Amino acid sequence: MTARTAIVTARTAMRPGAGFARFLRLALAIPVLAGALASCSRPGPDITIVAGSENKPLEPLVQEFCTAHSAKCSFVYKGSLDIGFGLKSTSDPLQADVIWPAASIWVDLFDEGRRVKHLQSISQSPVVLGVRKSKAEALGWTGREVTTADILAAVRDGKLKFLMSSATQSNSGAGAYLAMLTTAVGKDLLGEADLASADVRDKARSLLAGVERTSGSSGWLGDLFLDQDQRGIHYDAMWNYESVLKETNDTLVARGSEPLWLVYPKDGVAVSDGPLGYLDRGRGSEVETFVLDLQKFLLGDDAQKRIAATGRRIGPGRAEAAKPVADWNFDPSRPITAIRPPEPKVIWAALNLYQDALRRPSLTTLCLDVSGSMDGPGIDQLRAAMTFLFTPDTTRDLLVQWSSEDRIFAIAFSSAPGPAMPGSGAPADQERLKEWGAGLRADGGTDMYACAWQALRAMTPVLGTGRFLPAIVIMTDGQSQGDLQGFLQAWREDGHKVPVFGITFGDADRTQLDRLAAETGGRVFDGRSGLVDAFRAVRGYN
Amino acid sequence: MAISRRAVGLGILGLSAAATGALVYGRSSPLIRGYLGEETKLFGFIGGEKERFLANPDVVSALRRHGGLVLDARRAGSVEMARERTLLDQKPQFLWPSSSVLVDLARASGVKIQRDQVILNSPIVVYSWDVVAKGLVAAGLAQPDGAVRYRLDLARLLDAILQNRAWADIGVPSLYGRARLLSTDPNRSNSGFMFAGLAANLLAGEVATPQSLTVVGDKVQAIFTGMGYKPSSSGKMFEDYIAGGPGAQPLIVGYENQLVEWVLEDEARWSRLEAAAPAKPVILYPQPTVFSAHPLIAIDETANALIDALMSPDVQEIAWTKHGFRGPLGTSGEIDTPLVKDRILPRIDQVLPMPDIRTMLALIDRLAA
Repeated sequence: MTARTAIVTARTAMRPGAGFARFLRLALAIPVLAGALASCSRPGPDITIVAGSENKPLEPLVQEFCTAHSAKCSFVYKGSLDIGFGLKSTSDPLQADVIWPAASIWVDLFDEGRRVKHLQSISQSPVVLGVRKSKAEALGWTGREVTTADILAAVRDGKLKFLMSSATQSNSGAGAYLAMLTTAVGKDLLGEADLASADVRDKARSLLAGVERTSGSSGWLGDLFLDQDQRGIHYDAMWNYESVLKETNDTLVARGSEPLWLVYPKDGVAVSDGPLGYLDRGRGSEVETFVLDLQKFLLGDDAQKRIAATGRRIGPGRAEAAKPVADWNFDPSRPITAIRPPEPKVIWAALNLYQDALRRPSLTTLCLDVSGSMDGPGIDQLRAAMTFLFTPDTTRDLLVQWSSEDRIFAIAFSSAPGPAMPGSGAPADQERLKEWGAGLRADGGTDMYACAWQALRAMTPVLGTGRFLPAIVIMTDGQSQGDLQGFLQAWREDGHKVPVFGITFGDADRTQLDRLAAETGGRVFDGRSGLVDAFRAVRGYN
Repeated sequence: MAISRRAVGLGILGLSAAATGALVYGRSSPLIRGYLGEETKLFGFIGGEKERFLANPDVVSALRRHGGLVLDARRAGSVEMARERTLLDQKPQFLWPSSSVLVDLARASGVKIQRDQVILNSPIVVYSWDVVAKGLVAAGLAQPDGAVRYRLDLARLLDAILQNRAWADIGVPSLYGRARLLSTDPNRSNSGFMFAGLAANLLAGEVATPQSLTVVGDKVQAIFTGMGYKPSSSGKMFEDYIAGGPGAQPLIVGYENQLVEWVLEDEARWSRLEAAAPAKPVILYPQPTVFSAHPLIAIDETANALIDALMSPDVQEIAWTKHGFRGPLGTSGEIDTPLVKDRILPRIDQVLPMPDIRTMLALIDRLAA
């Protein structure tokens, strides 16, 4: 017995009324016990978990826990920065009970009201470069350590292109970008003055010129790599989490394709710490306790063992890391050098600099459905979305602003497409596009394929320069007439592999947009709960 | 024996009076209130390093016993909870920062303090890994004190950081780049706040004053600028340290109790770590150091009961045996488990007082710039 226990016992023994208290404790224990037993069979709460896409492989583990506790757990996948914006917003706060972003730094930067409690890292994963093995061999990277300078040289020499998620929408993109920028500076830490340096900007721009495709989600980027590989399009490389690269390789090897060689830049990488936390929105202690239990379960020996087996890194002493695969240079027990994230004001400045000046400029055509069915609230929402998209102050708040380097075409379509309205991200052009958007009127039928065709024709002269990351975005609320095969043939003949993204609205037939997106390497977004959000999300993809 | 109706009536009356009396007595007694299941809900902010302590089911039930106290305690940086309007405007009933100096800061922010009381204590330490600590010993920056704990010459380490020395220059060639020691943001969190005070003291060669800041302020600023992003919570920072390993987090500032708590939380995990991990966490005791006292500030009158509950012997016992917090006077209790015993110093000898609040405010303003 320790000294303090002895004191407690002595005091209890001396306290008058201690016997009464003991009696009361016993008497009260019976209903408490009965209540506790009753609560065992009570169904658990309904909870919503907003998670980064990289956590998708862990969802079954969470659902196991939820099922065992008769709770309904719904997952919503969002980018880490998106989760951050939701934490910050007072007008449109995040509707979730659990947040599970890729890195706690975004919670720290955005959760100004301190509504997130019990934030704990579940697993970690560094953001590294996966390079097709034959490419890595050709670059001489399979037999030695690689630095950021080596990667920069390969990109500059035109020997390497890569996929990387958007630095301003996704944690893995932000991590890869900040790591590249920091190491390109040749220091351990990025400062404000570095961002103003012409040399640093030049290096960063050169590195980002290697971006072949981008996205708002690291999980989707991994899927894109696999999907395109199956269609015979073999990208060189991809910045992604070590764990996503392992999952990608598992599939590549299973289908007999060439795996990726993992490059861990010697001078520093960003690391995701995968924190899970309870978002307090006044739902009471039952939900909070449930989240704490879920956290305990995920950090328990069994769950940690299973999480480690997926290639994620876990805290020391919890479970053994997944087995290294020498053929891929994959080794989650390999020590890494983590870059030091800069101060928040430098992070903001760096992200704005990416969006304003350093990223590869975008070439976007917006195909906007103005058929008769859009009349009323639909056309009002579309006008509001255009107002958002072309108001620099609002887009800047969410880090999706255009730069004057970007090229934009806007086409209104119904039975036939209207003229392509050209513009750039320069303020005057945005103002003009905004006015054009305000004047949209709804009438007629729907042919989105004709609009996509028109988009391709408008973009062709610019596509040839190879400077831009292109995308066609089709927003529609209806079943389209028209000629899918005709468009796809024109798309193949064009040869620039412009991805087509879809935004569904109202009663839109998703299958048509899904088909277009699948054939072209695009993605479909649900705009039914708000067109502004959907257009903002698409901005992360080019 | 026959009982008259009058006697029965009087008996019922007597019982009823007794029951009423018991109820009135019960309501006024925190102990009985707890047993009766009556709850007193209290909302407030706490430093992250106490989050696990307050989440401990034994603490939760002890607080229920002591007056039916149920806490809605949210994690916030100690410094920000004592002065940020976004937090204070939420009308917390209590604040539980991690330094006595912050009571003055809360008062200066217009917080009406009912009562304040130091509940727990923990010295500021530096966390590292055995591989790094051995290198520091070889370079003469630290000395071993037993097999698994170290004393750190913090002034020399700060000097090496100010000179931009590489890890390889200070005995740790396995790490890439320049030596760094990370703390939390001194404008938000207490461990960073106290470390700023300690660094200013060491660089000034005395307890820092506004005058000495004119001489050493730039150096303290350089140390903090060199850290880059600084987390707002020591609890999160310690987790990052454990999860990140020596490559990500070679040296961080923390509280002594954090490792003790982590070890005790899951002894099997610690045993596995000791048996197999390539690097093991170690505590480096800065010489001298500063003590982090954890004063509970009752803003609402109802929060006074929380002070009494937390000072009760049973809660203090849990604080030490499960979470590694020393008592209000800085003394340690007894720990039976050998896992922890050799890792902590039984007595902290060299302790400097923190600079006063005027000096600290001037210092952290400078660090915010």
